Amino acid sequence: MSVIEVTDLRKVYGPRTVVDGVSFSVEQGEIFGILGPNGAGKTTTVECIGGLRRRDGGSISVAGMDPANEDAALREVLGIQLQESRLPDKMSVIEALDLYASFYAEPHDPAELLERLGLVEQRKTYFAKLSGGQKQRLSVALALIGNPRVAILDELTTGLDPVARREVWDLLGELRGTGVTMLLVSHFMEEAERLCDRVVVIDHGRVVAADTPEGLAASVQADQRMSFLPSDPFDLAVLQALPDVHAVTTAADRVVVTGTDNVASAVIIALHERGISVGRLRVDQPSLDDAFVALTGSDEGPFSKGTAIR
Amino acid sequence: MSTATSGADSATSTRPFARINWPAARAMLISEGRLLLRNPGVVIWTAVLPVAAAIILGSIPAVRSPSKDLGGLSFFQVYQPVLVFFAITLLAMQALPDVLTRYREMGVLKRLRTTPVSPGMLLFAQLTLILSVSIVCMALMVVIPPLGGAPWPRNPGGFVISYLLGAWAMLGLGMVIASLFHNAKVAAGFGSFLFFVMQFFAGLWLQRPNMPTWLRHISDYTPSGASVQALTDSSIGHWPSALHLIVLVVWGAATSRLAVRFFSWE
Repeated sequence: MSVIEVTDLRKVYGPRTVVDGVSFSVEQGEIFGILGPNGAGKTTTVECIGGLRRRDGGSISVAGMDPANEDAALREVLGIQLQESRLPDKMSVIEALDLYASFYAEPHDPAELLERLGLVEQRKTYFAKLSGGQKQRLSVALALIGNPRVAILDELTTGLDPVARREVWDLLGELRGTGVTMLLVSHFMEEAERLCDRVVVIDHGRVVAADTPEGLAASVQADQRMSFLPSDPFDLAVLQALPDVHAVTTAADRVVVTGTDNVASAVIIALHERGISVGRLRVDQPSLDDAFVALTGSDEGPFSKGTAIR
Repeated sequence: MSTATSGADSATSTRPFARINWPAARAMLISEGRLLLRNPGVVIWTAVLPVAAAIILGSIPAVRSPSKDLGGLSFFQVYQPVLVFFAITLLAMQALPDVLTRYREMGVLKRLRTTPVSPGMLLFAQLTLILSVSIVCMALMVVIPPLGGAPWPRNPGGFVISYLLGAWAMLGLGMVIASLFHNAKVAAGFGSFLFFVMQFFAGLWLQRPNMPTWLRHISDYTPSGASVQALTDSSIGHWPSALHLIVLVVWGAATSRLAVRFFSWE
């Protein structure tokens, strides 16, 4: 059963249509990613779902309720982690959790949540003294304190250093299987690849793709790409003759070969037969990054490069 | 297919939650009180200056004798209401907009909106705290000077009514500042400006009895002039005049209405 149903959502700011007919549905317990470049309409979409913005068209249902009505009952089942939302500097971690727990009918036990989020040692630390990763973990904790069925997490790891980012990812990975449905807004493809069961890519207010992260990656780039440093010079025609190889080029002293899934082993075997070894091999899988760039034509943002085997 | 009703985007929800969650209200009040104690700067500054001035003035015998220059009132009788009003004005014009605009900037109000309680509860917690602090200041300024021989307000009922109506008008004005200005620094600047305007009409520099008639008439229609005159009348044993009470009620109601209309969570 779908816990979130979005049908033909539209939102207009003056002459600008920010969300233009977005539809998708999210199943209970799923981690669902909403991806897209900056300004694509992701935050507006989730803020309409969260009942923080009025939509101009379409329908939304969250656990059977229309968020536009802002029912207190909706707030009980929906936890939201907002982009760039802080707490008072001198509020401690446990004070914040206790306070927010008092708002809900059936809250999580704050102590248990602290443990799960790895904030036990910081329980008496003031918000201002927390590290970036700890602040974000507390923010996740506040989104989960009401024991929600659905949690919306908006740009959770933006602005965090890579260590803190992995901390937060590990945490969300552990929350998988607790039955909480998570709607994750991100422009980090690596984040979506690691966490999401399914994703939609939004660009200019429209859904341009919807699939699993792997499906999306596979759909746009069939070719695998490898590059290496040969131990001795050789005739490139040797490789061009291989059936798995589609193209061979050189870049500086490296040889770059694209071809089918088997291209790497075919090239290595062929060269080995001629007594040439392959150094500093790198094989790029088609990644969600590539899919994203292909779909949105966007090459902005700090996307990580494809996975590499060295 | 349902279409959302139109309405100001991200504006105050017009749907107040039917039931007040008292445990949450209590937790919020405790939490805000604790934060106030951890940042006592504003409150101490607000309270110490007028309270100390009232106590010192009340302890000087010469200040307690009637003066022809002040229309037969003593210096203490003229200044005690001004100082009482000074404290609530400072809290309402400076402390209140400061904390509310900062909470809005930090996203605290927006985050509360994602929970079953309304961010309005935080506003009420702040108003309650600020009113409580100012009532304590007022009480100190009324109770301590008589210990040194200064007079009590002769009409305590009138004094309390005048005080509460004046406080309503000031807190309303503070809420309007917090509604109109979204930048905490700009709100603080405007609050300071309005504070001095209020103090001028209250008679901090030029006592109301010494104002030219036309200026006193203007002052009568300002919340600070009306409030100080109503307090003065009460402290010398009269009832405040209907004009001043009506002026305060109108200011209180109008500013509250404006604040409710224009205050936004984001």
